[in-house]
Amino acid sequence: MHEFSIASEIVRNVLDVAEKNSARKILSIRLDIGELSLINVEQVAHWVQALFKGTMAEGAEVKIKTIKAAVQCQSCGYKGRNIPDSRDIVQHFAAFICPKCGSPGVKIEKGRECMLRKIQAER
Amino acid sequence: MKIIKSKGPEIFDIELEKDLLAKNRALAKENRKKLDRSKIIAIDIMGSIGSGKTSLIKALLKKLNMGEAIGVIAGDLTTTIDAERIEEEGARVIQVNTGKECHLDANLIHQAINGMRLDGVKILLIENVGNLICPGEFPLGAHKRVVVTSVTEGPYMIVKHPYIFKEADVIVLNKIDLAKAMKVNPYQLEKDARKINPHAPFIKVNALSGKGIPQVIHALGFIS
Repeated sequence: MHEFSIASEIVRNVLDVAEKNSARKILSIRLDIGELSLINVEQVAHWVQALFKGTMAEGAEVKIKTIKAAVQCQSCGYKGRNIPDSRDIVQHFAAFICPKCGSPGVKIEKGRECMLRKIQAER
Repeated sequence: MKIIKSKGPEIFDIELEKDLLAKNRALAKENRKKLDRSKIIAIDIMGSIGSGKTSLIKALLKKLNMGEAIGVIAGDLTTTIDAERIEEEGARVIQVNTGKECHLDANLIHQAINGMRLDGVKILLIENVGNLICPGEFPLGAHKRVVVTSVTEGPYMIVKHPYIFKEADVIVLNKIDLAKAMKVNPYQLEKDARKINPHAPFIKVNALSGKGIPQVIHALGFIS
């Protein structure tokens, strides 16, 4: 349930930025969430929309872009994606092992993001 | 004639690069600075519900036998059961109730270390809320992270939660005395752990009897 704390942080930021830009209404927001983050995107969207109620962002669309994983192997230098197209949690295990040489020394370069990227608003 | 037309609403985009977990990370760094200034080594103890985090802490306190030179932050949703169990060992305890949250965060630890008497404290053990997922996203500023799992959780805990085990500095497999009864092979769990985290010591423990506790103390860099 850390999705609730993340959603609260999103809402706080969105309203803060919107106010500073003299927005009257927020139409949509866009988030980037990495596929290796331990965040359930449906839950985040649900909580954000629930917390938007009664604010200028009520009813705003929550767009979420999934950022694909990318790793770099510290042993053989392999660079790239390392997991199949699936959210299967057991396959996350594979994400920590180099697909080329099997070394566990992989550095995650992409796929752990949790970012607020865009707010579309009206003034 | 000048006509003033009411303009329709202006629609505009605000582009941002706001990292939503950055605030926690920044606070964690602050916590670490404060701990370093006070010469306190902090250990974040994570693990699932019922894995034996509190029992491990009690066993560590007993073996280290340092009285109030060890502080404990006991995280729990609403009760003080763990804090009371730990207090019996003579440590200085502060309870942090997270309410509905499933993890401690750097802000709660910030409040705890500011609200706690830290004079004379050399070691701070932080018992996280029972959970193998959420605490992984919220570093607290501790110097080392211990993950506790136990044979009674079945044979797949490590494969299912690779992230938290990869981030661990020490992995403790508790309730080792029950492995046979549970039909769980501790060596397979050790293999799973090694595959993603070959550097963290993997220590088989029975926190109730004290078996393996000296090895945990050694792995944490303490002297008992």
